[in-house]
Amino acid sequence: MLKYFISFYFALTALSGFSQADVKKDTIGYTSAYGLRIGVDISKPIMGMLDSNSSGIEFIADYRIAKKWYVAAEFGQQEETTKEDYTNSTAKGTFIKVGINYNAYQNWLDMTNEIYVGIRYGTSLFDQTLNSYTSNTGSEYFTANPITTPVTSTGLSAHWTEFVMGLKVETFKNLYLGFGFSYKIMLSLEHPKNFKTLYVPGFNRVFETETGFGFNYTISYTIPFVNK
Amino acid sequence: MNKNILYIFILALLYSACEKDDICLLPTTPKLILRFYNNTSQADVKAVDRLSVWAEGKDSISNYRSVTLDSIAIPLNTNTSETIYHFKMNSVDGNIANNTNNTITIKYTTEEVFVSRSCGFKTIFNNVTISSDNNWIQSFTPATLTTIDNETAAHVKIFH
Repeated sequence: MLKYFISFYFALTALSGFSQADVKKDTIGYTSAYGLRIGVDISKPIMGMLDSNSSGIEFIADYRIAKKWYVAAEFGQQEETTKEDYTNSTAKGTFIKVGINYNAYQNWLDMTNEIYVGIRYGTSLFDQTLNSYTSNTGSEYFTANPITTPVTSTGLSAHWTEFVMGLKVETFKNLYLGFGFSYKIMLSLEHPKNFKTLYVPGFNRVFETETGFGFNYTISYTIPFVNK
Repeated sequence: MNKNILYIFILALLYSACEKDDICLLPTTPKLILRFYNNTSQADVKAVDRLSVWAEGKDSISNYRSVTLDSIAIPLNTNTSETIYHFKMNSVDGNIANNTNNTITIKYTTEEVFVSRSCGFKTIFNNVTISSDNNWIQSFTPATLTTIDNETAAHVKIFH
């Protein structure tokens, strides 16, 4: 009985070897688009409509260099009026941020959605105008008259790093809706004489610790160069 | 790994959401600090009885209305280059008839100095000259100050 059992086993082995050799490699792979993605931040025009102290535009672009890696950039211009208790000032200028994104999302099949983290280097060239101010007298007894002669400092610059995270969802073929959040740390910042840079285009409000926050809502489109 | 980054973001947000630059805690425009001394033994502080202090054309400063104090801090008018103060004292009793007045005129130039986002600008006073009609005040020192830019110590000693 055992003799037949072993023979049968060998027969099975041969059969399995045969079937292995016969299997063809699956050639129906899933490809996804590699290309230049360009877009615009839709939150800035909306904020500009709701808030008369803010106006600006930001474009975004990224280029996929590897399965999970993108070279990314944001650039634009911003004009923002900062109203504080004793000062009113306007910052106006252009900015650019460049860096990389890593897509941490494991896509199904040929989908190219993203949950990304990334870093940026950002720089801005801007003017700052002190529109008006009132001396803080620290007492109610005498009230100071406001000084309304604007003072403008031109050609101020700022350099910073950003940590970004966000998501991009493909809603139609090659069309993405995205949301991103950034935490910024200032590296170098120029201040006007006898005043302070309170807002930097692209960096937003400069906090006391020289850090900042930002977010964007984007619509972007991929111009596919190659599918792989 | 991604979760850790998220936590760092949330922590950073919490840390920065209530930053100290929202509230002004730094010193702003300095007041002129006067300290009253005994004219006969000039090292000794001597309080002024029933002192009232007001600037020309204004009501008394609410803290200084018939009070007995050995030092006062009075604001200077940042819109002008001169502030005239009246000092009423009464060392006898509460009767108006026994009040004595003294006028002190402070002349200066102003300069605005930026402090911080929430504090804005403060005014400091330069080239300060002080004069008195020396009624109940016998003398004072100094009569000129290059600048008043802080409140850390008394600016002027007044002897009476």
